Amino acid sequence: MKQALGLPLALLALVVGFGLTSEYFLTRDTFIAIANDIPALTVMAVGMTFVLIIAGIDLSIGSVLALSAGLTAVAMQSWGWNLPGAATLGLACGLFCGTLTGAVTVAWRLPSFIVSLGMLEIARGSAYLVTDSRTQYIGGAIGGLSTPLWFGISPAFLLALAIVVASHIVLRKSVFGRYLVGIGTNEEAMRLAGIDPRPWKVIVFALMGSLAALGGLMQLSRLEAADPNAGVGMELQVIAAVVIGGTSLMGGRGSVLNTFFGVLIVAVLEAGLAQIGASDPAKRVITGCVIIVAVLLDVYRNRRKRG
Amino acid sequence: MARAPLLRIGKLCKSFAAPVLTDIDLAFDTGEIVALTGENGAGKSTLSKLIAGLISPDSGEMLLGGERFSPRSRVDAERSGVRMVLQELSLVGTLSVAENLQLGAIPHRFGFIDRDAMNARARAQLALLGLDSIDPELPVSELGIGQQQLVEIARGLSGDVKLLILDEPTAMLTAREVEELFRQLALLRGRGVTIVYISHRLDELQRIADRVVVLRDGRLACDRAMAEVSHDEIVRMMVGHDVHEDEDRPRRASGRELLRVANFSGGLVRDASLAVHAGEILGLAGLVGSGRTELLRLIFGADQKSTGDLWLGGRPARIRNPTDAVAQGVGLLTEDRKSQGLLLGQALAMNLTIAHLSTVSRKGWIDGGGEERTAQQWKQRLRIRSKDSAQHVDELSGGNQQKVLFARWLHRDCQVLLLDEPTRGVDIGARADIYAELDALAKAGKALLVVSSDLRELMTLCDRIAVMSAGTLVQTFERGEWTEQALLAAAFSAYAQTMNMATDKAAS
Amino acid sequence: MQIFRRFLAALALSSMVVLPAVSEAAAKPRVALVMKSLANEFFQTMQDGAKAHQKANAAQYDLIAIGIKDEIDTSGQIRLVEQMLAQRVDAIVIAPADSSALVPVLQSAIAKGVIVVNIDNRLDAKALAAKGISIPFVGPDNRAGAKLAGDHLAKQLAAGSKVGIIEGVPTTVNAQQRTLGFRDAMQAAGMKVASVQSGEWELQKGNTVASAMMREHPDLAALLCGNDTMALGAVAAIRSAGKTGKVKVVGYDNIPAVKPLLTDGRMSATVDQFAGKQAAFGIEVALKALAAKTPQASLPVVTNTEVALVTR
Repeated sequence: MKQALGLPLALLALVVGFGLTSEYFLTRDTFIAIANDIPALTVMAVGMTFVLIIAGIDLSIGSVLALSAGLTAVAMQSWGWNLPGAATLGLACGLFCGTLTGAVTVAWRLPSFIVSLGMLEIARGSAYLVTDSRTQYIGGAIGGLSTPLWFGISPAFLLALAIVVASHIVLRKSVFGRYLVGIGTNEEAMRLAGIDPRPWKVIVFALMGSLAALGGLMQLSRLEAADPNAGVGMELQVIAAVVIGGTSLMGGRGSVLNTFFGVLIVAVLEAGLAQIGASDPAKRVITGCVIIVAVLLDVYRNRRKRG
Repeated sequence: MARAPLLRIGKLCKSFAAPVLTDIDLAFDTGEIVALTGENGAGKSTLSKLIAGLISPDSGEMLLGGERFSPRSRVDAERSGVRMVLQELSLVGTLSVAENLQLGAIPHRFGFIDRDAMNARARAQLALLGLDSIDPELPVSELGIGQQQLVEIARGLSGDVKLLILDEPTAMLTAREVEELFRQLALLRGRGVTIVYISHRLDELQRIADRVVVLRDGRLACDRAMAEVSHDEIVRMMVGHDVHEDEDRPRRASGRELLRVANFSGGLVRDASLAVHAGEILGLAGLVGSGRTELLRLIFGADQKSTGDLWLGGRPARIRNPTDAVAQGVGLLTEDRKSQGLLLGQALAMNLTIAHLSTVSRKGWIDGGGEERTAQQWKQRLRIRSKDSAQHVDELSGGNQQKVLFARWLHRDCQVLLLDEPTRGVDIGARADIYAELDALAKAGKALLVVSSDLRELMTLCDRIAVMSAGTLVQTFERGEWTEQALLAAAFSAYAQTMNMATDKAAS
Repeated sequence: MQIFRRFLAALALSSMVVLPAVSEAAAKPRVALVMKSLANEFFQTMQDGAKAHQKANAAQYDLIAIGIKDEIDTSGQIRLVEQMLAQRVDAIVIAPADSSALVPVLQSAIAKGVIVVNIDNRLDAKALAAKGISIPFVGPDNRAGAKLAGDHLAKQLAAGSKVGIIEGVPTTVNAQQRTLGFRDAMQAAGMKVASVQSGEWELQKGNTVASAMMREHPDLAALLCGNDTMALGAVAAIRSAGKTGKVKVVGYDNIPAVKPLLTDGRMSATVDQFAGKQAAFGIEVALKALAAKTPQASLPVVTNTEVALVTR
């Protein structure tokens, strides 16, 4: 499949634009900082790509991130767990939340929008409970994930990149990926073709939950603290990145590689606007405009391809 | 007498990826019914959409009443009195019949809907088609699909109509509804409305049309008075060669029993029992709404039955859902291919292999080359017309879409194949291809159960025909025993009974 | 429609607040403490302090402590006040979610003879004047507190150094007051404020903003943060940039998580405004007024509570 040029061009335009407005934007430091800033956003956007492809949505991921990170931090700080144990607990917690969202959605045939909205509240509330509503400082205990390896690049970034590449191949080339695209395109037709969509849907939400938890661990490692208010509104940022990457909210169409470009656009925009010192209202207005323009470009590109 | 035509079309061309229409010259007179026919993919739909303003031509021009006519949209064309009723229903199911009929021009007072005026207008519109029995306040979703189609046509008649295009208007109608429609079309012609009637049903075209226009591969193949051409000539012009429709074939030799259902009930279906053997085609006839589709869905596990037992290959079997059915070698070609069959927006190859991915994958990874070879193989065998196997199925014509779904189940190699209206909206050439494949499947020892509203089709294809009426299986005919009249009588039999029962009750 | 209705139902559920049961001991005055988001640890601490105060003075009054889902659910808080009036409480101590929007409902409370005391987020003076009412404010002077931290920081910086300010949610009075306090201190000491940006009170956002500021101003000498959570994010950003020790950080609130950072010097200072005592101060003002039968209009306009610099 031919890679559309629109997204890389839009990204280049942003980089050049910020390069011209800010003296220090086009520096190695900037790009390293962005690379080390995006792993959490990236892995969650990968999960969300899968969720949107099956025509679902998961609004709970910001809360699940906070809960998983909070649980890991508390396990280490207050319960004296070691790092592997605490990290496993965090990941298991994300897996559980995602599986629950998926299972309820499938079992009672509810819209995932509603179920994940419920999970958003449940996970946020649980995050406050386990952390006692207090920011948990853990120090450099799991700094390994974010300590630069070469040229300032962290293992977290490499891990996120590996997940992008692997997921891209899975979506394009595996039977699993093919089923997800089919389910998102026409769930009833898939059912009547003898493929039960339900287990696949649960798996996708379980994956999403686990990736949100992984994102939480990445943030915990880099920020050395777990904020029970972390990730508020992050679901919208993630969905924006995925949609900028051309994934359809109606299901059946999406690309993990393009999602990654969407993440880069969102991250460059955020870093660039902060660096040129844009005011908060200006940041919001500009970010909103970029989302709409990016989606318009995508729609235009698709219409032209169809002739 | 040389009158100026209502609509003149000159040198009209349109290409999508490849040319679809080339140099079409046509004229339509005031107050005539023109049959427009041709194989699927011949360009009928494209031509009618150009006239109705849904798409614009690449070159060429149209004159309406002597003036340049280049509609930019459907609404634009409607303003000039050119209307089209699409094959796909575009009614809003949750709105009432009256609201659907006047969508866009709902009468209102002080911003509130004027319900009385709206319903009165709707009644008048429905009466135009003899549909006085339909309650305009009923939600459209509660009507039968045939009645929905008539409401759709009634909507096309609202306002000032000069030219009306009907695309397969009778696909979902019962014989009685067809009669009423034809009567009304004749009245419209009398009022000076020009009607372009698109259909594959040649007998209908011969009854109603004054003139026949045949398209083949995007070119004009024929434009003559209907009275001058015979059924066979039209078929020859559509496909370019002779087609045999063989009705006097002997019964196929059948083998052991592959499917038996006993006392199936659920939904409309009451206590249905039947058996299909290896090497035979069992037809399932009946009126629309008699429970034929529902019975297939119960067997396939798509809907849940309340009672009933099932045997596959002589052994008791359980089918709780379609996954069970497919795993045990039962396939269902659904009636509504867009909502229940196709993965629209996806490639032909993906649509074809989805039910049997294990043949084109290894350890969970899809073998792209193998999939391409499989797709090419089926494309050739069923003569599916497409650019390549990566083309999206929504860009294919209806007949080719149906072939893709047919290929999906052929590729799955099911022992028992349930087919619901396998040739609906399919042109004669493609239909012959599908008949040939069904025959080959039976010869290969598969058991086939075919639902069709077209009795001639069942009489051509089947070894036995079971007839459903009001949810029950009333009678099974062997090849040689049946006549069209006998089949029809059986299809109406249970309704006559219930009517008698109702009158008995009323009398007592 | 179905979906929409379910959505509404879920929204309604999620914003519902369960009211604590109220014991009917008629003799004791009943004081309602209406908080902002109990999810925020600052308000949590405040409420815990109030509860401890009530326990210690159980004979004197009953406490009904309630809060809203998030800090900007203004209409939710208005509903809570109305519910408290329906329960006929004697006094309301409120941390308003919005400095103007709550004024009308509080006016109706005063009209019913309920004593109203304002804590944490000060009500808008103009809005109060327009309604012709007076509501005493009991709380810390955020601007003065921020100046304390700023002054302390300034002593460690060379004159003319460049600093950045990471602000909370810019629409809140506390964020604005703290930024003003930081600016006051920097101006007085002759420092240059190179950039002011919002970290929205959050760890991750604070981190991103801090990181961008340091890239744009490589010679930045200090980051002044509107709360400690953002300060934690700033400390992580400094570590990522390899500038630990070169860029100084101050925060605000003195949450337990910053204790180790103050100890090892990665943070220079924070400010404690004794959240645990603030609500209690407010309650005491209300109780005094009830006991002495002081009318609402004669209560003192401002009672500033204690703020203190914390450097270790």
